[in-house]
Amino acid sequence: MKQHDHQLRPNRRTVLKGAASAAALGTSGALGTFSDAAFAQANLRAQITQIPGIGKGAPTDADWQKVGELCLGPTKASVKEGEFKGVELSFMGLNNQNLHNLLFRGFLKPWEAYTGAKISWIDLAQADYNPRLQQAIATGTVDFDILEMGAPFEGDVCGKGLASEMPDWVKKQIDYDDYVDYLKPPVGTWGGKTYRVTIDGDCHNFNYRTDVFADAALAKAWKDAGNSGEWGVPRTWQQVQAVTKFLKGKKIKNQNAFGYLDAPKPWGGFGFYFLASRASAYAKHPEDKAWLFDVDTMKPRINNPAWVRAIQDVIDALPFEPADQLNADPNTTGFQQFLAGIGSMIPWWGDIGQVAKASDTSVIGDIVGFDILPGSEDVYNSKTGKWDKLGSGPNFAPNCAYLGWGVYVMARVNGDEKKHKAAWSAAAHLGGKDLSLWMVMYPSGFQAHRLSHFQFDEWTAAGYDKKYITSYLNSQLASYNHPNRAVEPRIPGIFQYYSIAEDELTKIFAGKVDAQTGANNIAAAWEKLTDQIGRERQIGLYKASLGA
Amino acid sequence: MQNSIPVSDDRHHKPASPPASAGRKAAGRALVMLASLGFLLVLLIQLLHATGTIATGFSDWRPILIAYLLWAIAFGIGQVLTRGERGQRALFLLPAVFFTVAVVIFPTIFGIYIASLDWNLSSIEGPRFSGFDNIRGMLNDAYYWNALGNMIFYGVAVLGEYAIAFGLALLLSAEIRGRKFFRVVFLLPMMLSPVAVSWMIGKSLLEYRFGPAATLARYLGWENPAFFASPWMARLSIQAMDAWVSIPFIMIILLAGLQAMPREVQEAAKVDGANGWQSFWHVTFPIMLPVSITVLIIRLIFKLKLADIVINVTAGGPGGATDTISSFIYRVYRDRSNVGYGTALAMVYLLMIIVLLTVLLRLSKRWTQKVV
Repeated sequence: MKQHDHQLRPNRRTVLKGAASAAALGTSGALGTFSDAAFAQANLRAQITQIPGIGKGAPTDADWQKVGELCLGPTKASVKEGEFKGVELSFMGLNNQNLHNLLFRGFLKPWEAYTGAKISWIDLAQADYNPRLQQAIATGTVDFDILEMGAPFEGDVCGKGLASEMPDWVKKQIDYDDYVDYLKPPVGTWGGKTYRVTIDGDCHNFNYRTDVFADAALAKAWKDAGNSGEWGVPRTWQQVQAVTKFLKGKKIKNQNAFGYLDAPKPWGGFGFYFLASRASAYAKHPEDKAWLFDVDTMKPRINNPAWVRAIQDVIDALPFEPADQLNADPNTTGFQQFLAGIGSMIPWWGDIGQVAKASDTSVIGDIVGFDILPGSEDVYNSKTGKWDKLGSGPNFAPNCAYLGWGVYVMARVNGDEKKHKAAWSAAAHLGGKDLSLWMVMYPSGFQAHRLSHFQFDEWTAAGYDKKYITSYLNSQLASYNHPNRAVEPRIPGIFQYYSIAEDELTKIFAGKVDAQTGANNIAAAWEKLTDQIGRERQIGLYKASLGA
Repeated sequence: MQNSIPVSDDRHHKPASPPASAGRKAAGRALVMLASLGFLLVLLIQLLHATGTIATGFSDWRPILIAYLLWAIAFGIGQVLTRGERGQRALFLLPAVFFTVAVVIFPTIFGIYIASLDWNLSSIEGPRFSGFDNIRGMLNDAYYWNALGNMIFYGVAVLGEYAIAFGLALLLSAEIRGRKFFRVVFLLPMMLSPVAVSWMIGKSLLEYRFGPAATLARYLGWENPAFFASPWMARLSIQAMDAWVSIPFIMIILLAGLQAMPREVQEAAKVDGANGWQSFWHVTFPIMLPVSITVLIIRLIFKLKLADIVINVTAGGPGGATDTISSFIYRVYRDRSNVGYGTALAMVYLLMIIVLLTVLLRLSKRWTQKVV
């Protein structure tokens, strides 16, 4: 359905907001210099973030189309109406949680109507994504012009010359400089060329139940049990373990209370991030950029004392988690457990905060708080082989898992000027500054990734509670900007490493092998894989990804 | 085989065409020769192009397929030209032969070649010949042997499925009220896709938090009804789901066998004073043995391919307890892009299945001969 006939009337909130802004500008004497364009953009952002409005139900296809149409301004400035008539583009992306590609369809419908181009869609489930992409690359059967892809795959795609370099006009249209620092080059680039329109910023933050940690009865029981310190949100993994063990058998709102939720079931490689989030504070030393492999040799660190300790933590915590936790993957922990009111702490990407507040599927609503991942009282130093206690206190190392999704245009459009411009125009529309604000505000699969996304007032104007959104955005900003953040290695085949690890971890968690033996097995398999893919090349790429 | 009776009706009898002339034969041979040379030339050019030896070549392998089809047509014409009527008769068979070569023989040979490669899709060097390295790797792969162990469990469980199916078939062959209704109802699970069963049963009905089966189990006193958290429970749950889908298939075959069984034999047993069990064990079961063995072998073939339910519900866990060879190969190939190794595992498994089924078919022949 096309959305040409909708009329967005300003509501009371936007009118008042606009009037207040105008008054403020008038009194400051700046009105004369205030550009019409900036005012229009501010007004547009206020308009789109009201569609449908936070707390007014989950957005629908009609909403996505409305937002897509309202954000067509930059496209209209660079493309004539009907300029791409006859151009057919193929777009490959995900359909997780009925988001990603489903939103893109809605956003791009008005773009298709205006430009005349047609887009066909290749929808993939998360677990199908990696094999589909790898097969297309290896067999030379790239059958898509635009690709939704995470930065970890840049080695596989950009490194093999399969992507199209971003034209300067796109950089200008999407306001490339607005990206948060950690998503600026080298992320999105390869060999000095820029390839990616960033539409997501990824890190695991710590999601916790505010009601659980403010519950007076639990606080009393915590004290009565002889625990040290006040009852509150854990700041270290040691505290997470203690709280998880304490909560077993307790009640909250007449329901069984649980602490931390692990995700032991494999999830196509993506489940490994959840162990990595437990491990980063132990394994990522502030004086060492590497934490997964030795930077000069690619020798795995997965079997060093830091990672083994994280694995052991999972083993120790599982008996205190729900009885079927062994069969829970991250999708289960996030969407079927935590958002449904089971468990009180999980690491996840920003989806939890969006869905909790802005989706009908959430049961818990806004009783969620956010922080960077917990730290550790000590951190393993791989160079000395000893555990260090830092003078500054616990070691924090937010896990910048996956580095976010981006939109890439494939090199196969390069030979056709019209198609090339059309593909980049579509990518630029999806990654547009204003459209991106809507995407990170509502359930989309994407989280804040631009400096302009951290204007808290825009969020509260859309209907977010100030305390809630401040906690949510600060947890992300603090992770992105953390000096000791643990950054995803952008090396080819990274999900093969993760998938191998998942298989062995499930054996460890089921009690078939102990943590150290299992970790040794993972390390041995990773060594073999590195040799198979090409060690020297992997070392080079790993170094580049760490900026070492 | 009986000798054919000469047909006297002129409308159906065609005299054999006269033997092909020397000229036709030469033309036929020349056509086949030319077509074969053309095909081989095109194939050689493409092989050299693909290996980077020469620059000239096709962008994909589709022209080879077209060349193969043209060669097949030329070969058929050549047969007619050189062999006359015998060549015409061969035309009835040749399409099937060429089709089998194209979709069975060639892929199998190509699969064996792939199995000898060290080929990870992420490797920039691409595939490298590695001989028997993949097989050696398999011998040391604990995951493969674990999955094979699980397959033995799943394979033996077919006997349990057979026993239940036989019971149901006996029930439905008896004169019970609503027999037709139950026949349809019992067949319903077979009509469902295993993927649908995975979600409807594995992820909904048996779901720990809200699943009706879990709720019922709690009501009955099972405090933590986690169907997929412990190795044996998970294995049994997967087996139960797969059995639920497959028992109707076994049942319907056995039911057909029971209905084809002569009533007189049963009545004779009754007259001789046999009770229900004796009548079943000494009369019905032996007579049904050929049908039983056929259905067991077919079911075993299906069972050895078990993957979908496992992939969807447990991903092979916990700790590999429910893993099957197929679900493991799926992970090796799909999640790890390890094409060479995954193909080697599949080839060895194919060989195992062929050997197993050959042995079973030979044994079953002996058993059924004894009975008959």
